[in-house]
Amino acid sequence: MANLKSRFNLRDFGANLWEGWNRQTRVTFTLVLIGLVALLPFAASWGPTSFLNTPITSFENVLVYPVGMFVLMALGLNIVVGKSGLLDLGYVAFFAIGAYTQAIMSTTLGWNTWEVLPFGIAFAMVAGVMLGLPALRLRGDYLAIITLGFGEIIRIVALNLKITKGPDGIPGIPNPPAILGLDFSLENPSHYFWLVLGMILLVNWMIRRFTIRRPGRAWEAIRQDEDVASLMGVNTLIYKLWSFVIGGAVGGAAGVLYASKTMVISPDMFKFEVSILILGCVVFGGIGNIWGVVVGASILAYLPERIRFISDARQLVFGAVLILMMNLRPDGLLPRKKREKLTKRGSL
Amino acid sequence: MSEKVLELKQVTIKFGGVTALDSVDFHVNRGEICALIGPNGAGKTTVFNVITGVYPATSGEILFKEKSILGLKKHQVTKTGLARTFQNVRLFGEMTALDNVIVATDVHKRTGLVRALFGTPLNRREERSGSERAHELLKLVGIDHRSDQLAKNLPYGDQRRLEIARALGTEPEVLLLDEPAAGFNPAEKVELADLIKKIRDTGYTILLIEHDMSLIMGISDRVVVLDFGQKIADDLPTIVQNDPRVIEAYLGVPADAS
Repeated sequence: MANLKSRFNLRDFGANLWEGWNRQTRVTFTLVLIGLVALLPFAASWGPTSFLNTPITSFENVLVYPVGMFVLMALGLNIVVGKSGLLDLGYVAFFAIGAYTQAIMSTTLGWNTWEVLPFGIAFAMVAGVMLGLPALRLRGDYLAIITLGFGEIIRIVALNLKITKGPDGIPGIPNPPAILGLDFSLENPSHYFWLVLGMILLVNWMIRRFTIRRPGRAWEAIRQDEDVASLMGVNTLIYKLWSFVIGGAVGGAAGVLYASKTMVISPDMFKFEVSILILGCVVFGGIGNIWGVVVGASILAYLPERIRFISDARQLVFGAVLILMMNLRPDGLLPRKKREKLTKRGSL
Repeated sequence: MSEKVLELKQVTIKFGGVTALDSVDFHVNRGEICALIGPNGAGKTTVFNVITGVYPATSGEILFKEKSILGLKKHQVTKTGLARTFQNVRLFGEMTALDNVIVATDVHKRTGLVRALFGTPLNRREERSGSERAHELLKLVGIDHRSDQLAKNLPYGDQRRLEIARALGTEPEVLLLDEPAAGFNPAEKVELADLIKKIRDTGYTILLIEHDMSLIMGISDRVVVLDFGQKIADDLPTIVQNDPRVIEAYLGVPADAS
């Protein structure tokens, strides 16, 4: 009973609660939670939660970009950084590849978003292999520098190619056609939000499946001790490559969606800062913890928009929040920790 | 004549100007406990590293079940049936004891990412068999009651045992143990000796690096002695014990003899 304050731990509290529930309670809780999140676009116009409303950009739009997109990308980057422990400083490259795939294919071939989406994902995955095969032979700082270079290469290529229209960017990207009763016109940003939410849930489902099975174990082993992992029979190169490819696929999908939402893209949207910001989301929330990453990305994406009324000083406040947070909770909001199940309570 | 399951032929490793192993020749017979001893820096762990593919050999040949394993990648060597433990415990500390072993059992599994994603029947079967096998192995080394604890939180002795269980998880034919008794008290060493014998009797071949002479003399069928990267003896424990060259390597030459 030494220090009650330090004993309370939100992550463990949540995990204990979850473990105590039966299947039915879990399903109900999950559905209610998803339902509540889906209602978020209405929060700005409902009295008690109207303080959430953002100045300048409408709240519904903020929920799509940056919030939804950042959560999606942070989840993708978390596979690389959090699960297999590879520092990727050029994650924006995959986002750019997805966005440019959508922009070029829809404006030249006339394909709609749903037709382009598999290609956007595929190209991002191929890029993951192309980057990963040479880069993953390196480790730590060296790997980080190569990925940083990769991010810049993609942006500079887009800046100089004819097909990407250089610094002017590509305008006139069509919105996605209606699907499943969702109508993606500019007046309906909340429909985009529901689409992004659906994708986030899909990615979440995917990560959970991987985590509890063989790939998750292999990644975890690689993250903790790569040499030992390979001596215990883990094909480290293949699994590291897979984490790059899957992370890239998520980034590519986000890019396709982003391009068809904003309708115009240019190379300066895919700067190094975006990679760092996404990485910041992961670190802020808690590397490797899905809940932490989701919460962290939501806060980091939302906060600058909410305090936009203080104009330039908002970056200062934003930076102060980051520093404060990293001082108070260096492992992130909800840090990763594999919980230990005591076979007999109190046996230790 | 018993079958040579693992054989090193004229293996030499040079790191720059240093010759870590100098034309080392020895073999391990199936089903025996072979001890590898020698003073500090003799090259014992280097032998393990070259067998498991950590270092490439400068020259020579390593045969496992009469096939060359030189040049294979580390995980490929493990898959052929060789597994090792480490001199300094190197577990996956943030994983449970059970998961540590399951990672190793995965080496022979066919589940890839796609199967894992969709949870195919094969995947579910393999996940179940992996966890059952891991529990069996934890029972074998006597720490199944700790299966849900994080590896880093286990007592030191149990960590050493977990390392053995993890190596066995890869279903090796030859188990390489690198100083499994380091840091053990005499009572623990006796228990460990029993465990090693039990593992051998279950059908594994064991190559063992150890410093504790009483442990080695008690359990090993054959002893190979290295000194400065060269093999100086290879015989029954009782004979090696009285070999003047071995005594010299360990204790130095008597003053009056030189």
